[in-house]
Amino acid sequence: MVLAAGNQDALLELYDRYAGLAYAVAMRVLGDPARAEDAVQEAFLKIWTNASSFDPRKGSLRTWLITAVRNRSIDFLRGRGAHEREELELQPDLAESHGSDPWREVSLSLERAAVRQAVSSLPAEQRQAVQLAYFGGYSQAEIADMTKVPVSTVKGRMRLALEKLHSYLQGRGLYPTDLEAAP
Amino acid sequence: MSDHEALEGAVAAWVLGALDTGEAEAMRVHVEGCASCSQAAARFRAAAASLPLEVDEIAPPARLRERVLVAAAAARSSTLPSAPARKKTVPVNGRWKPAATIQVGRLYAAAAAATVLLALLVGLVAGALVGRNSVTPAPPQVARFTLVGHGPLTGARGTVIDLKNDGVTLVDFKGLPALAKGKVYEVWLITPGGRPEAAAVFVPDSNGGKVVLVSRPLSGFAQMAVTTEDGPDGATAPTQPPQLYGALA
Repeated sequence: MVLAAGNQDALLELYDRYAGLAYAVAMRVLGDPARAEDAVQEAFLKIWTNASSFDPRKGSLRTWLITAVRNRSIDFLRGRGAHEREELELQPDLAESHGSDPWREVSLSLERAAVRQAVSSLPAEQRQAVQLAYFGGYSQAEIADMTKVPVSTVKGRMRLALEKLHSYLQGRGLYPTDLEAAP
Repeated sequence: MSDHEALEGAVAAWVLGALDTGEAEAMRVHVEGCASCSQAAARFRAAAASLPLEVDEIAPPARLRERVLVAAAAARSSTLPSAPARKKTVPVNGRWKPAATIQVGRLYAAAAAATVLLALLVGLVAGALVGRNSVTPAPPQVARFTLVGHGPLTGARGTVIDLKNDGVTLVDFKGLPALAKGKVYEVWLITPGGRPEAAAVFVPDSNGGKVVLVSRPLSGFAQMAVTTEDGPDGATAPTQPPQLYGALA
């Protein structure tokens, strides 16, 4: 992306490109505009101060940033420090366009449509388990209490949900071909 | 039941961050040494990374862009402009557990400093994000505190971001009431013994917000507080009890 091209406005571009998604994820988790702003700011600051550790072979800047936003938002939501949670790691991304903005927009639109279709195709209880964990920051034990099922059932729902999501998206060519080989 | 049999069913929960700390650590160790669980974790991580895309984008407030830029510039800068210090002997209000003499160092115009930071950012971006081959300073330690409004400032809030490595602090104020003509808000740093030292003066924007730069480390201070004082320079000692304050720990 533009960062590797020597553009001095890289941070501005990163912000302008992903602030809407970052803020939306923070709002989805927190439901509070003020705290969502804080989470987004801290996530960008984290990316900024750790830029040298970014490894494009392990995923895109978008994933790095959005993961940071999600993690910080969960920290705020749960009232805990970053050291108290298991950090979701940087992941191989969906196939992100490195081309022009028009194509990037088209590509992102296709990704969104595919993800929404994939998520909506999950059985409700599997979708709920994954969303409570990812956007709610709940543990499997908490989700079991909330949904009144054994923890083993929650584990199974999460596993099945992510297996199906992976298969669905991979089947539509939305993962890098070297996904399994990624470090 | 082997470790593998016990743990493989929880790999998805681990990837979603849904295991307790102890469980997560046990899983991490297991996955590192288990090829099949490692592969499963890679598949699940890729799937989990797609989840944010189901959320509709929301345009953030315009001020957030400035906040991010100022914070990023401050985080990377070790040569921030410093405000002139002045030395005065002043009486201090009794509520503040006064000391006889204080040395006051302050920023006279936080807004101007923020502008300078924005200008610095242009040069800093290349070195930090673009110039990947350049030497990068160690990530700064960042501490975060909250200021809460009381009395006439009830509803106001301040988020203190202490960039320890840079020796500067950003304070993001929100919800501040508009000031009477000729008045300013003044930021004070208070020692454990109750001695206040002026740190900055500012006037909030029309939305009651402002990002204020405090170009000094917070070490040695126990609290930060805000009062309303006469402008444009504020007071050399607080003239009223603090209305917005919080602990720096």
